[in-house]
Amino acid sequence: MNILLELVKENVKAVLPIALIVLFLNFTVVPLGLPLILRFLTGAVLIIIGLSLFLVGVEVGITPMGSLTGTSLVKTNRLSLVLLGGLVLGFFLSVAEPGLMVLANQVDFVTLGAISSTMLLVVVSVGLAIMVALGFLRVFFNVPLKIFLLICYIIVFILAFFTQPEFLAIAFDASGATTGILAVPVLLALAVGISRLRKDSKASEEDSFGLVAIASAGAIMAVMVLNIVIGTQEYAVASLEPIQVGRGEILRPFLDFIVGAVSESFVSLLPLVVALFVLQRLLFKLDHKPFARLVKGFFYAFIGMIVFFVGVDGGFMEISAELGLRLASMDNKLWLLLTSFVIGFFTILAEPAVFVLTHQIEDVTSGYVKRRAVGGALSIGVGLAVAFATIRILVPSLQLWHILLPGYIIAISMMYFVPTLFVGIAFDAGGVATGPMTATFILAFVQGAASAFPGANLLRDGFGMIALVAMAPILTLQILGFIFQRRSQKQGVDSDVQS
Amino acid sequence: MYSPESNGQRFQLVCVIVSFGLGSKALSIARKSGMSGGTIMLGRGTVTNRWLRLLELTDVRKEVVLMVGEESVTKRAVDAIDHHLHFSKPNHGIAFTTPIGSVIGRGGEEYESSVGDGGNVSVYKAVFVIVDKGRGETVMDVAREAGARGGTIINARGSGIHETATFLNMEIEPEKEIVLMLIATPKAEGIINAIRDELKIDQPGNGILFVQDVDETYGLLNG
Repeated sequence: MNILLELVKENVKAVLPIALIVLFLNFTVVPLGLPLILRFLTGAVLIIIGLSLFLVGVEVGITPMGSLTGTSLVKTNRLSLVLLGGLVLGFFLSVAEPGLMVLANQVDFVTLGAISSTMLLVVVSVGLAIMVALGFLRVFFNVPLKIFLLICYIIVFILAFFTQPEFLAIAFDASGATTGILAVPVLLALAVGISRLRKDSKASEEDSFGLVAIASAGAIMAVMVLNIVIGTQEYAVASLEPIQVGRGEILRPFLDFIVGAVSESFVSLLPLVVALFVLQRLLFKLDHKPFARLVKGFFYAFIGMIVFFVGVDGGFMEISAELGLRLASMDNKLWLLLTSFVIGFFTILAEPAVFVLTHQIEDVTSGYVKRRAVGGALSIGVGLAVAFATIRILVPSLQLWHILLPGYIIAISMMYFVPTLFVGIAFDAGGVATGPMTATFILAFVQGAASAFPGANLLRDGFGMIALVAMAPILTLQILGFIFQRRSQKQGVDSDVQS
Repeated sequence: MYSPESNGQRFQLVCVIVSFGLGSKALSIARKSGMSGGTIMLGRGTVTNRWLRLLELTDVRKEVVLMVGEESVTKRAVDAIDHHLHFSKPNHGIAFTTPIGSVIGRGGEEYESSVGDGGNVSVYKAVFVIVDKGRGETVMDVAREAGARGGTIINARGSGIHETATFLNMEIEPEKEIVLMLIATPKAEGIINAIRDELKIDQPGNGILFVQDVDETYGLLNG
């Protein structure tokens, strides 16, 4: 079985449950109409194809390039070069991230231009770049990940104290958006490439994770600092319009999205391709064949991204907004809560970066931490997060920080009971979970549900959802780590023999 | 060293190569047939199809399962794996066994010094040491002090008789490291003893060590 077929099989398994749930709801509680269902199914097929091609590209091109970059940078043995590499790569990865561009435009729109999209884009990218460089330094100077993350989050909490609520939401959302479809595979591969050269095999494995988490903390801090610098202001806040649901047309919407998808994919891959050619000349100096392989990988990723975006935007967005709206309008709110959990639970498995993360974990740990285990923990976490997001819509007095603050305090205290490997994996998973599927399908569902209530602020509820989805996996994966640690202990052996 | 024929049973190394994801399954089948444990490492397969090569769709992930056991048990285990995983069909995996000179660390065995199994004594021994993750470096240090020239550490996962935990029907196989060293026969004894003493391999749960005779070596400098 070749890798493409294997991936198609994996992705069918990931997307099929979502399709079945929507079909089930369609035939029982909320009839959605044939055209919408057909569009949804077309979207599902496109997502499977796009995701498979994209992941082949990640496997053949993007991941090898990332780890090659990490390894080559370390081998130069010059700290300045490593730092510069981290800064430049981090900045361009983030600036080109499609999710961040969408967010920046939205923020520009709702604040009526007070925070321009360019400013947000640059600020977030600079924050991310600085933290990626510091993350590299951490590995060099052997600063434990737990301590580094603790310092990061303490700074975030202190900054949060001086940040106004609108910016708080934007900050968390920006961090979710910037660690999206492309940044995650590259950051993960970079970390593996850098840590691989360490002699101590345990430390090498532990250092393979955590960079995504550090990078997303950078994005949060950057937005908060921006707010503190420009000072608290009253913004005229425009509200987002609910997503319009077109009826009757099946194929048209997909065609409408093609141009956007092509340019989005092109713009986000371009900096990486440029970096690839520059690094090949300066550092890699690969032979013709392996280099051609990398280039082919990028081509797969490009085509895959286009098909994936067309599928998501054309097929999934509207139906999920409609689903949210209809379920929220029903008297029995149990269906809404149940569906939000189930949608979160299954959608996360179709998130491209999740596959990359679980794959990487299996490779680094030689299969000790299995994909099923990580996927299960992620699913439960995201399911609960989406359920909490809908509870917030139903209970407006529940503030975002009522959930976030205790959540992060628990997450940070748990670091001390959980193996370092899982701390890295868990905090990385937080960034990984908020990819394009979450930012479209789940977000549309939550906003759809919110639009059923007159007074609900679409923007506020949407932001809250992404922050919650970013937090929940940190908790569930650390619990998983705790269980793994307990269950890996040997039975019937004196523990003092183990030195 | 544990004598190969002390109780009329010879030891064998079983090597099973299957698609990624089936390694744990093969191991659990083997365990049900009486094997005490095994070690799994990741590998990559090859594809010969010209079109797939052009499209760079050549990466096939594989898992290699290594297990050590008495001849009668390994026979039964390999038969069971062959049967359950349908090795008779193409592309379902392969398995083979090779004889082992001696094994230490399978729990409670007595040390017996009898290197080689009579007749042709080979010039080199391949020494495999399987220990918990992070201790491979210690094995290498000890071996180097005792005169070994070098070795290779392979990342793996696996479980012995002391590690049979499952979580929601999923086996948990802790991470291991396999240290592979080629050692000249006269030196082997000393190096193996040094590793045994330092890592307490004879005590249960501290890893296993086994030795295979090597016929030909290339690239080894005299030492």
